[in-house]
Amino acid sequence: MDATALENEARTAIAAAGDGAALEELRVHYLGRKSELKLALRGVRDRETGMALNAARSAIEEAFFTREEELAAADVDLEPFDPTLPGEPVPRGSLHLITQLRRRIEDVFLGMGYLVYDGREVETVWHNFDALNQPEAHPSRDPRDTFYFDANTLLRTHTSPSQIRAMQAQQPPIYLVSLGRTYRRDPLDATHTPVFHQVEGLAVDRGITLADLRGTIELFTSAIFGRREVRMRTSFFPFTEPSVEFDITCYLCDGQGCPVCKHSGWIEMGGAGVVDPNVFEAVGYDPEEWQGFAFGLGIDRIAFLRHGLPDLRLFWENDLRMTRQF
Amino acid sequence: MKVPVSWLREYVDFDWPVEQLAAKLVFTSCEVDRIVRRGVVDTDGNLANFLVGHVVEAGKHPNADRLQLCLVDVGEGEPRQIVCGAWNFGAGATVAVALPGALLPGAEQPLGEAKLRGETSRGMILSERELELGDDHTGIMVLENGIEPGTPLVDVLPLTESVLEIETGFNRPDLTAIYGIAREVSALTGAALAPPPGREPERAADEPVDVRVEDLGACPRYLGRIFHGARIGPSPAWMRARLLAAGMRSISNVVDITNYVMLALGSPLHAFDRSLLAEGRIVVRRAQPGEKIRTLDGHERELAPTDLVIADAKRPVAIAGIMGGEDSEVRDETTDLLLEAANFDALTVLRTSRRLRLRTDASTRWEKGVDPYAAEQAAIYASELLVAHAGASWTGHTDVHGDLPVPPVVRHRPELVERLSGMSIPVEEQVERLQRLGFEVDGDQVTVPNWRANDVTRPVDLVEEVVRFRIEEVPSTLPERAAPSVQLTREQRLRRRVEDVLVGAGFAEAYTWTLVPGEEGRLALEEPYTTELAALRTDLRLGLLESAERNRNAAVERIALFELARVFRPTGEELPEERWHVAGITDGGFFRAKGAAEALHDALAVPLVVLERGPGRSAHTAYGELSELPGGWGYFELDLDALLADVPDVVAYQDVITYPAVKQDLAFVVDEAVAAGDLIAAAREAAGPELRDLRVFDVYRGEQVGEGKKSIALAAAFQSPERTLSDEDAAKLRERIVAELVERFGAELRA
Repeated sequence: MDATALENEARTAIAAAGDGAALEELRVHYLGRKSELKLALRGVRDRETGMALNAARSAIEEAFFTREEELAAADVDLEPFDPTLPGEPVPRGSLHLITQLRRRIEDVFLGMGYLVYDGREVETVWHNFDALNQPEAHPSRDPRDTFYFDANTLLRTHTSPSQIRAMQAQQPPIYLVSLGRTYRRDPLDATHTPVFHQVEGLAVDRGITLADLRGTIELFTSAIFGRREVRMRTSFFPFTEPSVEFDITCYLCDGQGCPVCKHSGWIEMGGAGVVDPNVFEAVGYDPEEWQGFAFGLGIDRIAFLRHGLPDLRLFWENDLRMTRQF
Repeated sequence: MKVPVSWLREYVDFDWPVEQLAAKLVFTSCEVDRIVRRGVVDTDGNLANFLVGHVVEAGKHPNADRLQLCLVDVGEGEPRQIVCGAWNFGAGATVAVALPGALLPGAEQPLGEAKLRGETSRGMILSERELELGDDHTGIMVLENGIEPGTPLVDVLPLTESVLEIETGFNRPDLTAIYGIAREVSALTGAALAPPPGREPERAADEPVDVRVEDLGACPRYLGRIFHGARIGPSPAWMRARLLAAGMRSISNVVDITNYVMLALGSPLHAFDRSLLAEGRIVVRRAQPGEKIRTLDGHERELAPTDLVIADAKRPVAIAGIMGGEDSEVRDETTDLLLEAANFDALTVLRTSRRLRLRTDASTRWEKGVDPYAAEQAAIYASELLVAHAGASWTGHTDVHGDLPVPPVVRHRPELVERLSGMSIPVEEQVERLQRLGFEVDGDQVTVPNWRANDVTRPVDLVEEVVRFRIEEVPSTLPERAAPSVQLTREQRLRRRVEDVLVGAGFAEAYTWTLVPGEEGRLALEEPYTTELAALRTDLRLGLLESAERNRNAAVERIALFELARVFRPTGEELPEERWHVAGITDGGFFRAKGAAEALHDALAVPLVVLERGPGRSAHTAYGELSELPGGWGYFELDLDALLADVPDVVAYQDVITYPAVKQDLAFVVDEAVAAGDLIAAAREAAGPELRDLRVFDVYRGEQVGEGKKSIALAAAFQSPERTLSDEDAAKLRERIVAELVERFGAELRA
């Protein structure tokens, strides 16, 4: 057969095709499995003919491509096409909102050189209270507030026992965060759950100060919420001295004032302070040599407020109509 | 604690506006929840409209039986005619008067001159309630005689009041007293602190007071004082007004005085009707088994031998530090009093208060540890007030105590301030601040005042006392340290990977309760939260199943949830074993769950091996279980700690690209009882490593294969990393497989 003639004929026909259907018809005619060209290619016995036929095929394919582009440029639909139809469904799961926040916090602190320490959830009274210098009469020890298994074991009421375990396991310097479930016998309602989540931070080194605490919290909260200011108020925690509670510029209104921050522009974040020498003594660190700061804050409320949830129980109901939004 | 500011100013005359004080206290001392304004509005000269009046004449209104027509001298020379609806006074009474133009508490319009039944009323005679000074609205407020008519009422009564509502920390029992707060305000503002209130009145006699303390550990101090001739009645208007502003109900002059002194000085007091005490005796002791007491709130309470009680010669008359008993209570006809100003051990009070689930204004103070020295000043102040306002004469005194605590002496280390806070504070300022707080500073020796003795025992505690007044100025720095290198641990990293794989497989992460119903093998709470939340879970199934069903009940489609959390197994040791599990539930049945578990294993480069069938549609794998739960739920749960331990650190490359694979399909008819997994395992064993892949792509049952049989179609890929396998190579491998399956399973090759 005459490859050149075939090529020319095809080129002319392709150039004249006015829409996708016509092109498709020509494609079957010239390049289909039973086309003259394909049959000829199958029967090729010598190299020269083969090359000529292949050259013609390339040229014809090129012509199709060119014509498709021309038609597309002229806005002619090559086949019926409605881009607003839905895509083929691909199931998408989601991470829990608290896991999402937890990972961000972990990553921020990893970037600052803090390791992520996994504590225990069932703890001894010694780790949860005694080693943290908690007075015998402190209300948090009350069985009305704390879940006990017996006189010596309980569900941790805060992530602070992680500090104790980490310090017992290694010598300073130590920089860590510990995140996880904590437990208090709170009522179950829109703003309380008996299980909630905290982030604990601990830095022990030479010369650590309250000022370092402030700077660290500023850096951390700015990384999560955008540029924040931190203010500290005197408070009391048995395991820190001095103790402070810290607020940051409200992450809902950027300090402009809103109902959540009671129009103060500040939102309470958590408790912190300089590690009490009694805590160092409990774990065998020399308080004259080492200084440290510790902080703790709840993260459920942050996720709850930032996403505008009406009820904390939604975190535990796992309603896919909610989780699929995130 | 509610702090009426007029009361606070009595002890410390600070000149800051209340708002400024509150804003500052928040940083230095305690939380201030809010400032509440009470009483008469103090703007536009409104206070000048409230005067003391003297009733010159009072008689029935000519046109109304229920009204009185009065002439009241308010210091203007000419008395004013005022119509009044109350009859609890007559000519000669001293009263509180509002003139026309006065804006009364809660009113929107000022008072006008009014004509009532034809008579002009040029003002109003006021009741306590109208001034927000008390609850009493049965009559107008009659003031004590002798006050000059025309005296501004605000000089006589706390007409306008701001109340600071503060929350005090566990370590600051001194801030549960107005005087203690005044001391704090003095340190904060620099204003002078008045001496503590209370001057000892004259003692009329010296009769013995029979007080025996059997347990000086639980009751380190007991001051008992006897009073005769008390007249029970209302307490003075100013006292009632302050108690009300501080959130306490007025009961009677004697009870009000004990409450007033508690609020002022922080040391709770109790007054007994002495005539109701058997033998007039007080015994402080532990309760005896079976003893009961009916407390002032009307409840009968069973006492335990750990409870400390105040008893008379026969029976308990009060639960120490918590609440008095009903049958020794001061009543209208009481004349003889025994005043208790004691000190009780914090833990003793706390334990009884917890056991009885009874907290009172007194017990919450004792729990924090009250200064034993405060009892003495409280006794003095209460005595002064009882003599002045209950007409009592003081006739007996005793003070039973053991060794009272010696004030601690702490070394002052001024350099610690900068070392710990990162901010320097001059030594002189440190010393001045400590002195204003009641610390005695002598060089580097600091004597801690009794009221802070529990909290301040070490140099670092003094640092806080100094730093807290400048806490806002602490600079912002970061720890100086060499650039560290940290990363998540292997397990933390892999747990994130597990979460991500499941999310990618369409599963939504769920959080469910750690607590489940109690059951054998689960560690149970001493006191369950509810019957549903009573013990630690040993697997994740219950919570996930509940969440999945909740979604189904809400008509949600394509349900797939997973949870990665800890489970707890009792070990017989002190603490249970905590292990990470991952579980998933899906409405797609067993094989959808298995598919997700396979994807998970695949992502971790650990094979999923079914070890054996379990009951029903379930199976045990090397790391957990796969099952179908009632309701068609596909479920998997894996011991993640065990699984992650087997994850290879590095996956080695297998060359499946250089040389092509030969792909073939095989189908075998086998007995229904033969498991596909066993066929594949046997085939792999027979063919060796050149059988790169073998998987089931179809299972067929039907007439063509016969009853009790099934046809399993397998797709095989033969491949070598070293050479191109020939058709003959493939045929040999295939033959080995066929021979093995025929021999071991009686399989019949279909194709």
